[in-house]
Amino acid sequence: MQPFALIRPTTLLAARDRVHEHPRARLFRAGGVDLLDRMKEGLDAPAELIDLRTIADEKSLRGINPDPAGGCQLGALVTLAELAAAAELDAVLREAAGSAATPGIRNLATLGGNLLQRPRCWYYRNVDLVCLKKGGDACLAVTGENKYHAILGGGPSFIVHPSTLAAALLALDASVDIAGDTPRNIPLADLFVGPKQDPTREHSLGPGELLLRVVLPPAPPGRRSAYAVAKEKQSHDWPLVEAAVSLSLATGVMTQVRVVLGHVAPTPWRSREAEAVLENQAPSADLFRKAAAAALAPARPLRHNAYKLPLAQGLLREALHRAADLPLPE
Amino acid sequence: MADGTRKLKVGFADQLRDIEVALPAGEPQPWDATTKLDVVGKPHPRIEAAAKVTGAARYTHDQRPAGLVHAAVLRCPHPCAVLDALDLEPARGAPGVLAVLAVAKPGDRLLFAGQDVAALAATTPQQAHAALARIAVRYSPQPFVVDTTAAMQPDAPLVHRAQVRERSTEGDEPGTPTGSSQRGNLRMSPSQKKGDVDKGLRQAKVTHEATYSTQAHTHSALETHSIVLRWDSPTSLTAWCSTQGIFSVRDELAEVFGLKPQDVHVITDYMGGGFGAKFGASAPGSRLGFIAGELARQARAPVALLLDRREEHLCTGNRPDSIQQVTLGAAADGSLTAIKVLAHGSGGIGTGAGVGRNAFAIYTKCPNIRVESHDVFTHAGPATAFRAPGHPQGAFAIELALDELAVKLGKDPLELRLAHNEHPVRRHQFELGRKQFDWDNKRKRVADERQRNTRLRHGVGVAASIWGDFGRGKAVVASLSVGRDGSIELRNGLQDIGGGITTVVAQVVAEVLRRPLADIRVRIGTSELGPSVGSGGSNTTSSVTPAVRAAAEAVLQQLRELAGKQLAARRPEDVLWDSKGARVGGKSIAFVDLCKHIAGEAIVATGTRPDTYGAYPSRFMGGNSVAIAGVQFAEVELDTWTGLVRATHVLALHDCGRVMNPLTCRSQITGGIILGTSYALSEQRVMDKRHGVMLNPNLDSYKIAGARDVPAIDVVFTEVHTGANNTGAIGIGEPATIPTAAAIACAVFSAIGTPVRSLPLTPDRVLAALGAIPTAAPARG
Repeated sequence: MQPFALIRPTTLLAARDRVHEHPRARLFRAGGVDLLDRMKEGLDAPAELIDLRTIADEKSLRGINPDPAGGCQLGALVTLAELAAAAELDAVLREAAGSAATPGIRNLATLGGNLLQRPRCWYYRNVDLVCLKKGGDACLAVTGENKYHAILGGGPSFIVHPSTLAAALLALDASVDIAGDTPRNIPLADLFVGPKQDPTREHSLGPGELLLRVVLPPAPPGRRSAYAVAKEKQSHDWPLVEAAVSLSLATGVMTQVRVVLGHVAPTPWRSREAEAVLENQAPSADLFRKAAAAALAPARPLRHNAYKLPLAQGLLREALHRAADLPLPE
Repeated sequence: MADGTRKLKVGFADQLRDIEVALPAGEPQPWDATTKLDVVGKPHPRIEAAAKVTGAARYTHDQRPAGLVHAAVLRCPHPCAVLDALDLEPARGAPGVLAVLAVAKPGDRLLFAGQDVAALAATTPQQAHAALARIAVRYSPQPFVVDTTAAMQPDAPLVHRAQVRERSTEGDEPGTPTGSSQRGNLRMSPSQKKGDVDKGLRQAKVTHEATYSTQAHTHSALETHSIVLRWDSPTSLTAWCSTQGIFSVRDELAEVFGLKPQDVHVITDYMGGGFGAKFGASAPGSRLGFIAGELARQARAPVALLLDRREEHLCTGNRPDSIQQVTLGAAADGSLTAIKVLAHGSGGIGTGAGVGRNAFAIYTKCPNIRVESHDVFTHAGPATAFRAPGHPQGAFAIELALDELAVKLGKDPLELRLAHNEHPVRRHQFELGRKQFDWDNKRKRVADERQRNTRLRHGVGVAASIWGDFGRGKAVVASLSVGRDGSIELRNGLQDIGGGITTVVAQVVAEVLRRPLADIRVRIGTSELGPSVGSGGSNTTSSVTPAVRAAAEAVLQQLRELAGKQLAARRPEDVLWDSKGARVGGKSIAFVDLCKHIAGEAIVATGTRPDTYGAYPSRFMGGNSVAIAGVQFAEVELDTWTGLVRATHVLALHDCGRVMNPLTCRSQITGGIILGTSYALSEQRVMDKRHGVMLNPNLDSYKIAGARDVPAIDVVFTEVHTGANNTGAIGIGEPATIPTAAAIACAVFSAIGTPVRSLPLTPDRVLAALGAIPTAAPARG
């Protein structure tokens, strides 16, 4: 790791200005979990880290705050452990936050950092290999070891988006508040940048822009949700696939259905195909199977990751059963 | 005492018998089935437990001799390359740099990504790593092959241009056949043979043939390979080393630097895991001892060379992968007529890709057996002994193949095993386990769920282990002193690699001298303390404790003589010795008071262990060691929607001779099962075939079982009185991990009715076995 200076600004403006001057050499630091990993691996060598945790003049960076309209605002510095323990949040978000990494990491890792972390692809993470993400001309996963890579929306890069919270938040129609020269609120889906747009990045924040908070709109009446994940290891591992589902069951049929798959695509993958199968229908095991098949119909696996098709279908069915409170088959 | 023949009662459970053994002069009466012990065999917590959990224990990584400087190694990034140019001068001028060293020279052919090229030492570790970038180096990359199957093709790039000499360490299983021939990247080894396997297959009415494969597995000890080396004079040095064999480090350093072995002082106070990869001053794929010594000489300062996790994966050894073609034949009644295994595996640029003795030596009622295992060279770091070299991979293939045959024969896999197993202890373990595990009822539930095609399934499997009693005679000289102040100190140059030998030797001394365990000081961990064995091949307890006991008995004899004098006994045998001290008739003297009469500072006696004498229940065929038996039953839960397997329960029944300390023994078995579970379910070295590099040299994507991945573990000791040595100890370290992955794989087969013939048993493979993966050609790649 290269030596660096830790700067601890107390105002949001000071923090943003500092990074804005030298956006390549100065990086924001929140929990520092992924950032320090990358620095130790030699992938990033910033001269300065700008600590966000000392900022005192911007309340919206912190806390889980209900808003008057019935929604909720989640500060970017809220930890995964805090999200997992917040009884007022939807099950899909609590379950996702509580499933990630380890208790120690969840105590440190933040909401903002989780959404903006870099991919886990082992070609990207290997400092000796120059892949598309690092300015090379090919995604090395295409002809390489691509067991953990994308089956949907891939190309030219086939990473999967690493954020576990992203799928859950998309299922809750989240948006994000961004501090910048022009403060803005954008749908969470628009925060993510797919590889066709730019394979070297995964989010759309400009230099010196900062994710302030995630905004959850009021829940529709009778909303239910669930998160399901499969990992090769049950202690401290990354998802192979995850499924996040929310739906409203106020009238006996499912409405406002959201189906999002994680770790299947370079961005969190909302399946409008599955939502169309489910919307305005009564829950049933058979319907869930059809929805799962529809969600994976567009999938184009690589050589070693076709297993993600049945796996994603299985997890999606599991999440739908749980969200709709329909007992899973024995 | 002259050489004498003694009667011993040996055996296990209610199967005890009398044998006669010839004992050399001075050897104490061996503990056998009739011996009642008060301290040995009782659950004493580790003596050093508090030091370990509080951080007071100082490992090699913690050593900071005055003036310490730090080494870093430049490693070849290419799987195969000729070193064209190497210029160290720019690094010499880098901040903090005190010494630079070329390890390879221009023109050298480098054979794996991670091989030593150059090294340097600097004042801080950060300076050392930063200075590596200043070394000017140029390579000509060469064709390479890292995939085992690809390396077997006739046109594959050749790894070695000359004959390769086998490298073996104290971690390897003694008696492994040697002698070989080499062609291309293939190195043929002699086979294990009995009967006529081709004839056996011709006679068979039912056959099963399939190919089984296992992954390369890295040792991943928590403490990485490390050495801290200080020159004490131009011809003598001290080395702190994370090692399983203090004397192997001493001898290597003496040889490398042309020193007298007694001028090399090696210290291993505490050690953070080795699993077979830590013998000698170097790692199997990195010349750590040479580098540390040369840099320390140049820098005129002690040097610490502590590998990082990436280096640990790349160049410190591994368990070879395997591709095993198994052919089984059986008569109509289900009796095996042939077991044939043709195995290939790659230990990278090293040798040692065997499959152990599981297929050859467990199901011995089969009259015709042939097991061949051959090395395939690839451009990857060299393999080295890894906890039961060859056995876990061999067990996986033969045990799963037997289960597949059992299905064809319509037989219970446990019955098939019992029908072909002749080892009385192992048969006892199978029967005991069947009851305790509730095998028959569990199998019914498994079959019922499979038949009803449930989403969640259970599975059960059973597998066996075989290992030898490799306790070494004449290797250990233990020294015991009792001081005039009543202090008791045991000294020996052995290392405690985590198995608990420190506590066990204290128990032996406490038992013999009838003193409280807390009063026994154990000094181990340096070569100055007298000859000892390396901890490999599951031989520490069986090699060390008999020597310790001999020393303690010799001290006791002198104490009795002293007491006899003090208490005016007519004959030495009139002296009664107990926990208070000595007694003759109505007269007694307390231990501490007796010690005050010791002439000089202390009574000191040494003890050694003769070669193994008794042998129960039978000598291993064709060898000279007793086969140690073990059996494990595993239960899994499997989700057919996700392919996820969880090992939920392992029942382990093991023979480890006399159980010296049930806590440390259980801990070793538990550790073996966790290692085996991790190997079964998630650990795997992943190499990129096009770049020839390891993709997961970390502990993030190299997946070692964590707390939630560990099954509930029940351990049953089927204690065997072997009469092999005077304490009756034999080994447990390696047997404990041999059958775990095999049993889990058999359990998965029972759950879904289709075998998963490759380890690890990850969801992709399970879903493939379930037929759940669409077969359409992939879009790309």
